[in-house]
Amino acid sequence: MERTFAMIKPDAVKKELTGKIIDMIENNGFNILRMQKLRMAKDQAEQFYGVHKDRPFFGELVEFITSGPVVVLALEKENAIKAWRDLMGATNPAEANEGTIRKLYAASIGENAVHGSDAPETAQEELKFFFYDL
Amino acid sequence: MKKSIYTLTSLLSLSIAAAPSCCTPSAPSMQEKAPISTVDRTFAMIKPDAVKKGSSGAIIDLIEKNGFCIINMKKLTFSTKQAETFYAEHKERPFFAELVRFITSGPAIVLELEKENAITDWRTLIGSTDPAQANVGTIRKMFAESKSYNAVHGSDSPAAAKREIGFFF
Repeated sequence: MERTFAMIKPDAVKKELTGKIIDMIENNGFNILRMQKLRMAKDQAEQFYGVHKDRPFFGELVEFITSGPVVVLALEKENAIKAWRDLMGATNPAEANEGTIRKLYAASIGENAVHGSDAPETAQEELKFFFYDL
Repeated sequence: MKKSIYTLTSLLSLSIAAAPSCCTPSAPSMQEKAPISTVDRTFAMIKPDAVKKGSSGAIIDLIEKNGFCIINMKKLTFSTKQAETFYAEHKERPFFAELVRFITSGPAIVLELEKENAITDWRTLIGSTDPAQANVGTIRKMFAESKSYNAVHGSDSPAAAKREIGFFF
């Protein structure tokens, strides 16, 4: 069984979509191994998004992700990484398929409601970042 | 005239403006809880029966829709010792062992909720302990199957809320 890391970002938490997104996670057969609501500190966010630190959007990304609480999750399912990315939909909500989380709930490419790991290595790193026992 | 359009939600958003900590758990470096005046906090739990049935999202959606701020939320599995301590006040009751067995039977979701009259309002939303007697629209009417497997927990007094919140957060 594969594991992936998922996050409900501050825009979706602020819009009170946490329950709806968790409902979709459950309805799509993911097992929620861990879940916690928290607010990322600036240094935590900079470390989490370290791979993007030389990109022009880095400052804005850190500012956004620390702007309010998030919900972090460890999800388990067969092919969890791809299954979660499919359920989230394209990064740009305008290009996301019908029925995906981003099509339903994301406002823009920047404030796109949810995060998911993009590969097994990043999934492992991101899971460890928040859930030391995984 | 103006007063009549004041819904709970608009009152709540006023208090958000005054106290930005609402819906905004403090940064990890400043976990100290801000003093609360007119806004109450309560402790809630989605119990293993509801989690197992995949009702977590639906229940959290009800929490949000009913104007509660989720200050803290965590999914965890109680150890036996934790469960015995949490339910210590029931330890002489005949159902104690079964209660501990049930609550440790799978993961639960523990929450710290904030709202004006949070304790009373949360108990109203969850409904009667016995789902057969619970009002239509309450969480237990919708999601609980019996008096023991009753989907959710809520603190019954300010003292209990304080103790139960402190137990987890």
